Amino acid sequence: MTTEADALILRYLQDLEGELRDLPANRRQELLDEVGEHIAAARAALDPETEAGVRTMLERLGDPADIAAEARERFGVQRPPARPATPWLEVIAIVLLVIPFVGWVVGVVLVWLSRLWTTRDKLIGTLGGMSWVLAGLGIVMAEVTSTPLAQSGSDSPVGQPHLETTGPGLPEVVLVAAPFVLPVLAAIYLGVRLRGRDAAASAPPS
Amino acid sequence: MIPAKRESLITQMRRGTLEYCVLALLQDQPRYGFDLVRTLGAADGLVTSEGTIYPLLGRLRRDGLVTTSWHESPSGPPRRYYELTGEGRRALAVFTTEWDRFTDAVDRLLRQGGSP
Repeated sequence: MTTEADALILRYLQDLEGELRDLPANRRQELLDEVGEHIAAARAALDPETEAGVRTMLERLGDPADIAAEARERFGVQRPPARPATPWLEVIAIVLLVIPFVGWVVGVVLVWLSRLWTTRDKLIGTLGGMSWVLAGLGIVMAEVTSTPLAQSGSDSPVGQPHLETTGPGLPEVVLVAAPFVLPVLAAIYLGVRLRGRDAAASAPPS
Repeated sequence: MIPAKRESLITQMRRGTLEYCVLALLQDQPRYGFDLVRTLGAADGLVTSEGTIYPLLGRLRRDGLVTTSWHESPSGPPRRYYELTGEGRRALAVFTTEWDRFTDAVDRLLRQGGSP
């Protein structure tokens, strides 16, 4: 009978140790010691000790997961989110963000599905990629506005209105380049934030 | 049936007051873990699983409200006793005062309702 009880208790303490793995080592050891002492005192109070009595005692002690949850809450330890080693959802989202239009739309959906980025990160990713859409609108607008402008130009020959200008000014370069650069910058930003999160999550608790 | 939000409020109230119940149990004499836990467990509805008291005791010790020391046991190995510190005693006194005011006020409203 004693060996049965010992096996039950050993399994209980092993479960508890597993559940407490997120806690700093000294907190974990302290709790294991105290629960171990509780069990020893409770066993001493069982007379005679039966397997059923030991089972009841362990049930009263509670599910190791509940004790661990309480410990995390009392000591302010965040449970690291369960996720694959490579955050595929986030990686695919970043890649899609730099592909115009359809890629961006799907990428944004994935960005917002992710639980690893903050809302601010997600907004930056969304707005950065949105410049593809703005660029599309810009091209349409340019088509619409440039034709009458070119025709209304006083004495420059129709068909080559831009040849006589001194080349693109800085604002134009920025306007043309932004739709290509901003999504890439947004994607890099999201990548950096993702790495930062990984590092923070895998750092040992203080 | 109690809606989930209200149930969590009751859980939070229980959690919040539990630590002062632990301090109160220690105000007259130090107790060892099993004794403390069984006494708390006997109070209706306060503790559902006894093991969850130990993280709380660890927290109280880290906050300096409780200390531990080892004492011989009449039977078996020495036991770890939990004892109130001066700070723990002060925290308990402050809570007791606030609790009395709070429960008086809430009781009066709950019992009397709208009548003057």
